[in-house]
Amino acid sequence: MSDSPRKVDPITVEIIRNGLVAVTEEMKTNLMRTAYNLIVYEALDFTVGLFTPDGDTVSIGLGLPMFIRGMSETVKAKLNHFGRDNIHPGDILVTNDGYITGSHLNHVTFTMPVFHDDKLVAFTCCMAHWLDVGGVRGVVTTDIYSEGLQIPMVKYRKAGIVNEDVVDIIKMNCRLPEHAMGDLRAQVTALTTGERRFLELVERYGHDAVLDSVAVIMDHAEAEARANTASIPDGVYEAESFMDDDGLEIGKRVPIRVKVIVEGETMTIDLSEVAAQVRGYFNSGIATGIACAQVAYKCLTTPTFYPMNEGSFRSLKVIIPPGRAISAVRPAPLQNWMSYPMTVIDTVFKALAPAIPDRVIAGHHADLVIGQLHGITADGTFWVTHVGPVGGGWGAKSSEDGISVTVCINDGDTHNTPSEQLESKFPVLVERYEMRADSGGPGRQRGGLGADFVIQALSPMNVNTKIERKYCPPWGLDNGNDAAGNSLEVRIDGKWRDDLPNAKLLAMRMKAGDAFMIRSGGGGGFGDPKTRDAARVAHDVIEGYVSPEAAADRYGVVVDAKTGAIDEKATQKLRGK
Amino acid sequence: MGNLRVAVDIGGTFTDMAAFDEASGKLVFGKALSTHDALARGIQDSVDGADVKIDEAYLFLHGTTIAINTLLERTGAKTALLITEGFRDIYEIGRINRPDAYNLFFGKHEPLIARSWRHEVKERMKADGSVHRELDETHLRELSRVIKAQGAEAVAILLLHSYRNPAHERRVEEIVREEIPSAFVSSSHRLSQEYREFERVSTVAANAYVGPRVEKYLGELDRHLRDKNFKGDFYVVQSTGGLFPVSEARNECVRMLESGPAAGVIGTQAICAQLGLKDAIAFDMGGTTAKAGVISDGRPLTAGSALIGGYERALPIQIPMIDIFEVGTGGGSIARLVEGNAMRVGPQSAGSSPGPACYGKGGTEPTVTDANLVLGRLDAKHFLGGEMPLDVAAAERAIRDRIAAKLKLDPLEAAEGILRIAATAMSYAVKGVTTERGLDAGKFTMVVYGGAGPLHASAVAREIGIRRVLIPFSPGHFSAYGMLFSDLRRDYVRSCFQKLASAPFALFEGLYREMEDEGRASIANSAVKPQSVQVTRFADMRYIGQEHAVTVELDRGLFEREDRDAIKSAFDAVHQLRYGTNAPREKAELVSLRATVTGQVEKPPPIRIAAGQAEPPAAALRTRRPVYFREAGGFVETPIYVRTALLAGNRVAGPALIEEHASTTVLLPGDVMIVDPAGNLDIAVGSRA
Repeated sequence: MSDSPRKVDPITVEIIRNGLVAVTEEMKTNLMRTAYNLIVYEALDFTVGLFTPDGDTVSIGLGLPMFIRGMSETVKAKLNHFGRDNIHPGDILVTNDGYITGSHLNHVTFTMPVFHDDKLVAFTCCMAHWLDVGGVRGVVTTDIYSEGLQIPMVKYRKAGIVNEDVVDIIKMNCRLPEHAMGDLRAQVTALTTGERRFLELVERYGHDAVLDSVAVIMDHAEAEARANTASIPDGVYEAESFMDDDGLEIGKRVPIRVKVIVEGETMTIDLSEVAAQVRGYFNSGIATGIACAQVAYKCLTTPTFYPMNEGSFRSLKVIIPPGRAISAVRPAPLQNWMSYPMTVIDTVFKALAPAIPDRVIAGHHADLVIGQLHGITADGTFWVTHVGPVGGGWGAKSSEDGISVTVCINDGDTHNTPSEQLESKFPVLVERYEMRADSGGPGRQRGGLGADFVIQALSPMNVNTKIERKYCPPWGLDNGNDAAGNSLEVRIDGKWRDDLPNAKLLAMRMKAGDAFMIRSGGGGGFGDPKTRDAARVAHDVIEGYVSPEAAADRYGVVVDAKTGAIDEKATQKLRGK
Repeated sequence: MGNLRVAVDIGGTFTDMAAFDEASGKLVFGKALSTHDALARGIQDSVDGADVKIDEAYLFLHGTTIAINTLLERTGAKTALLITEGFRDIYEIGRINRPDAYNLFFGKHEPLIARSWRHEVKERMKADGSVHRELDETHLRELSRVIKAQGAEAVAILLLHSYRNPAHERRVEEIVREEIPSAFVSSSHRLSQEYREFERVSTVAANAYVGPRVEKYLGELDRHLRDKNFKGDFYVVQSTGGLFPVSEARNECVRMLESGPAAGVIGTQAICAQLGLKDAIAFDMGGTTAKAGVISDGRPLTAGSALIGGYERALPIQIPMIDIFEVGTGGGSIARLVEGNAMRVGPQSAGSSPGPACYGKGGTEPTVTDANLVLGRLDAKHFLGGEMPLDVAAAERAIRDRIAAKLKLDPLEAAEGILRIAATAMSYAVKGVTTERGLDAGKFTMVVYGGAGPLHASAVAREIGIRRVLIPFSPGHFSAYGMLFSDLRRDYVRSCFQKLASAPFALFEGLYREMEDEGRASIANSAVKPQSVQVTRFADMRYIGQEHAVTVELDRGLFEREDRDAIKSAFDAVHQLRYGTNAPREKAELVSLRATVTGQVEKPPPIRIAAGQAEPPAAALRTRRPVYFREAGGFVETPIYVRTALLAGNRVAGPALIEEHASTTVLLPGDVMIVDPAGNLDIAVGSRA
């Protein structure tokens, strides 16, 4: 914590704290209401933020929870690239360099310097997922060059004048240039909104009061993080897990190993032992590697501190050498950057479970669980859409059951698509969307349930999926059991097939009447299932969350499925009492 | 039958009454404590207290919290759900979003109907309304018997694509009524003919769940009124602010969820009409929350749906309503220090029990009300007209011990800080919502009511940049007053996915006609004969490829002339206003058609109070006492006026307080207030410090 005395009073600090949250919320509102593509306003695949002149995070408006690090790293990289003296009022800096943002090329990131009285006082920054940035489709990419246009760090706008050359290059390299330009305009609107609102705060409360308040707010976040770290017993904690494959070498598991060192008020998360970067498109850049550690740390120490800011991470050290799957270097492919990191985060929770069993969560389904469809309708129109996210189970905690069918940790306020809408727009029929009995990991606290989502082709279509974690199911903690993993089944000519080697489909052709089923995993259980209150097991049986068979086999509770009556004697016998 | 129009609004604490005598033009108000065990008694008390004769009334208008409370308190009926096979879990799955993104202990909505009470019907419609699978009636009858044996008091029905073809839902409804005659039966297409199966199932489930209790309550109240010789008609206020007859209210209970707050916005609209204002923010602050609605171009902004309960765990209700947004800041909001001695105000609230520290009911944490008391803005002896003495020492102690001492602040500075934090938090919320609509809040007038509103009105207005604040005559009865201005109203929606360029106008005309005829018939059947009936057409439109649609009002002439270009231009213009951009060259599509049928009821004339000079009468100045104003550098001797003694034309400059029964208006230094002819306090807000 900084020792320099802050002159600002605590009331002004709180008013400015609310003000900073409002600045990024308004940036978010304006981005969402002006963006053209629905990935921005339905999937909330964007992040806006306000940064110090050094590029440290002051406030982030979500957006994409996993992008907690990418923008600050990008602002810093731009500062470093151009040098502070070469950044001027009216400039807007852009890049989609995946090795800087940590994610795929669709994440085009714009940054605007904010000046007050000729002095640089802040940066506003906005990342949004563009629908298309070129590149090949329908294959597993093996280098970044096949994934589309790379925009190096350049000035989109220089002292208020748009660099049309850059615009022309972008337009020629996107399949949907009008959409790209629409999203670009929306992003610039978000930046200028942030600039205007931040300057209003500066005008109203004074430059020094605002900057001092920012410093105090970061100190507050830091104090909360340190206090919640200090309460974790010192020690070295390790855990491991694995991914199914890299999409190319089917069956070759990809190991994830993490080490967490807690010493007093500080935590070190060492990700050196995460697998080396892989050949298929499941890599991410180092900003995402750091984000894995930061997301885990924030969840454990300052989960509800707003605004999200740098102070939360001062007591966290991240060790991650380049060349890992989450710190990949050029020319590693990055298209599916979001899959592996979710499992890294869960593995950190797993490592800390022995130390802070009451504060961690068992494994979750950890995948977007989506499918991509395209086809040509009877009248010859090309159509393309995605189905999902289906949502899946979340892990149980020592104090409560896991939450069922909810988006993974990569996503936040992301919604699924109504089936009525999907069927109105595309030649498909949703046969079922239902909770998957027995998919939640048994435990004293049961894991959340995953879902089955069955979609039938009404005319020929192609299906792609990149679903992970079929073979490393969401784990239980403290003797809680594992959940069902994510999986995929297809129905061809009326016959269901559940023997696919993984949950990934590459351009699979389907005829009218064929179908596929995304089965999302559950969440791991917490504590020995044999110690779950028998009445709660009976309730789960009545509600159909747990089958009577699983109640007996896994929980040791014999329940009449119709009446919910517990056979006490048989139960005692199974539970060994 | 007499000429009396009586409006009664039941709130959490008080039941408010406003009555208008059309013959004499006289307006009277009444207030009584709400009696939650027997609501009709509170209603009768409020009427008796004002000496209003219910047997002289020809119209009884009612806003009630019974539906929303039943929902929030989960005290509704044993309800079963019948739903298309394969989909019984969509009500529990919901939209799968996780707004509290870093909180591992996040929550999710809890359905009103447990899984074992949700049953699947063998049938299926396709998106184009064609039958994919015939309804299996034999199976349905078996299911109905299972549900009956389960003890269901209510049955909700949702079948996929029923907005497109309700035939199966209608048939299911018939069969269930035959099999379980005692049950309250509700099917989704009667409430919402819009796509989005989760939102529709949530709507119909809520309706069925609250139905039996609301039906019973309205029945009892109706009987009570008849026993008192009431011979007129009984109407309920909907969340749109419009009226519908009790016979319809009994079946479509979710339409009245937000009747009280909606009536406040209608009251604001009425004041706007009287004063010739086009744009206003209706701001209502009570004990736990502040609510705001927006009047834009003379009309309330409406939304096609609302979320009931906190965002994270909300149950959506997909019916049109006035767009009312809520901030977790009220008189009971608690000020606390968190890690690092950072100060927060709300969203935790002391509520009414234990309440603020100064209530002396065991509350020890300082609240916004305690801060107002310590600063002299509330009078310990005159709170609620003196009915409830406040404990100043307890308020001081709470602020000193819990906040000021730890921050090394003067307790008065801390108290003033609590109010400033609360005011800025509310101002950000108001600005956020208007920004979302593409509107500039600074250009609006703010009409402020509710118990705590007038205390903070000027401070909130300064933060937003609003220059004019109106505290209406009788702000504590404002929702009841607003009801007197409500019109008969029916709203309809039909999903209709069509590309504008190729859509058949006959299809539009058919759907609009159907809705309009239904609306006209409904209004013609009501006992109140409106002065005129107005039909307004809207369409929800978007650019092809977009997901979000905006509602565009469309003149019926556009349809008669089949003018696709003009419809497109109207949409482009709305898109520009709402989102700041548009794309005139992109093609558009229609998602839903909407029609609103309004039967205009004669409005009460504006209130007229006695006129005086600029100088308030001596009797109006009750006393002077020291009140703390940061703008004035501390305590200043401040005049305290009695609102009821003020006359039209009186002018008061801040700092000053104006007290009335259930609220106190604070004029900050720099504010100038003039009492207008209707008794509204018209405040020119000073510039912010």
